[in-house]
Amino acid sequence: MTAHFRKYLKSFSIAAAAAMLFTPLAAVAQTASTTASNDRWLHVRVVSSDNKGETVRVNVPLELAEKVLPAINKDRLHNGKITIDRSEMEGVDCRALLAAIKDTKDGEFVTVQAHDSDVKVAKQGGYMLVHVVEKRWAEGKDGKEIKDGKSTEKSRVEVKVPMKVVEALFSAGKDELDIVAALRALSAHGDTELVSVKDEDNTVRVWLDSKNSSD
Amino acid sequence: MILAKLALGAVGTLAFATVYTFREGTIRVDVDEHRSGGSHVHFWVPATVVPAALHFVPDDKLQEAVDRAHDALPLVKIVAEELEKYPNADFVQVDSEDQHVKVSVHSGKIHVDVQDHDNDVHVVVPVATIQDVIENIGNRSHAQ
Repeated sequence: MTAHFRKYLKSFSIAAAAAMLFTPLAAVAQTASTTASNDRWLHVRVVSSDNKGETVRVNVPLELAEKVLPAINKDRLHNGKITIDRSEMEGVDCRALLAAIKDTKDGEFVTVQAHDSDVKVAKQGGYMLVHVVEKRWAEGKDGKEIKDGKSTEKSRVEVKVPMKVVEALFSAGKDELDIVAALRALSAHGDTELVSVKDEDNTVRVWLDSKNSSD
Repeated sequence: MILAKLALGAVGTLAFATVYTFREGTIRVDVDEHRSGGSHVHFWVPATVVPAALHFVPDDKLQEAVDRAHDALPLVKIVAEELEKYPNADFVQVDSEDQHVKVSVHSGKIHVDVQDHDNDVHVVVPVATIQDVIENIGNRSHAQ
């Protein structure tokens, strides 16, 4: 009887110890499986082409950013909103501009073709598109531009933001950008490339998907 | 026979205490300075010990720490709560010729790894421990 009891006690102790040890792991695994399918991750990757070849990768779950941002109150950031300095806007009423764009059909709104750069702002398929190409002109030995020389691309910036996100961004007060609302709107979107910058020194990519790593 | 029972009881208690202590994981800190005569610090402590040890910190010292970290505490609390949802993820990674920085969460533990010319620093802290500490500090400062 005692031997049976001891055997039973030993088995119970081992099982209890194992259960205690693995309970946190089981909880972790369960959380992992539930979060993996629903989470939206914002990724930023900066690859520098200088001597050190620095690469920066940042992966942030949108939900985490939504919760954390309102807790940061520093400088212009308060309750997940950024206050815009009117003087920086140079008289441009972004909200009025956005309201006008919102009700307009798809098309190119701004096209600037200058000597140094080309700029395009358009609305297409529910996205706001901004393309900026900076040009570099061929130079002679004296460092001056060659007359009738060809230009090459110095840098290219491409921004593709869902209109709903832009609307959410400007949904707060007149002089505020609601970052949290924008993130919330962004989380409803599928995988998308948001920003791409390529110049001589750096390549920057900002995109959204459901993976928790950038590669 | 009595001695055997006592020994069994002692071993059982020790095993139980060990399991309880380590189930929350451990906090690890490894620091290696590469310069000659540089310090090498390697230690680990069971995570469950930290909240318990906080009870022995004098009130005035704890209040001093709370005051200093006052603005950051709510933020740390939210981050720790949210990080529980992401038990395995790489959040920040910086790689260059002479520097590697990585902030990640693996199996519910925050890993901070920094390697450069001068130092190697590796810190591992269970997310649950950070929550416990924040909660503990909050309770203590409210009680005062």
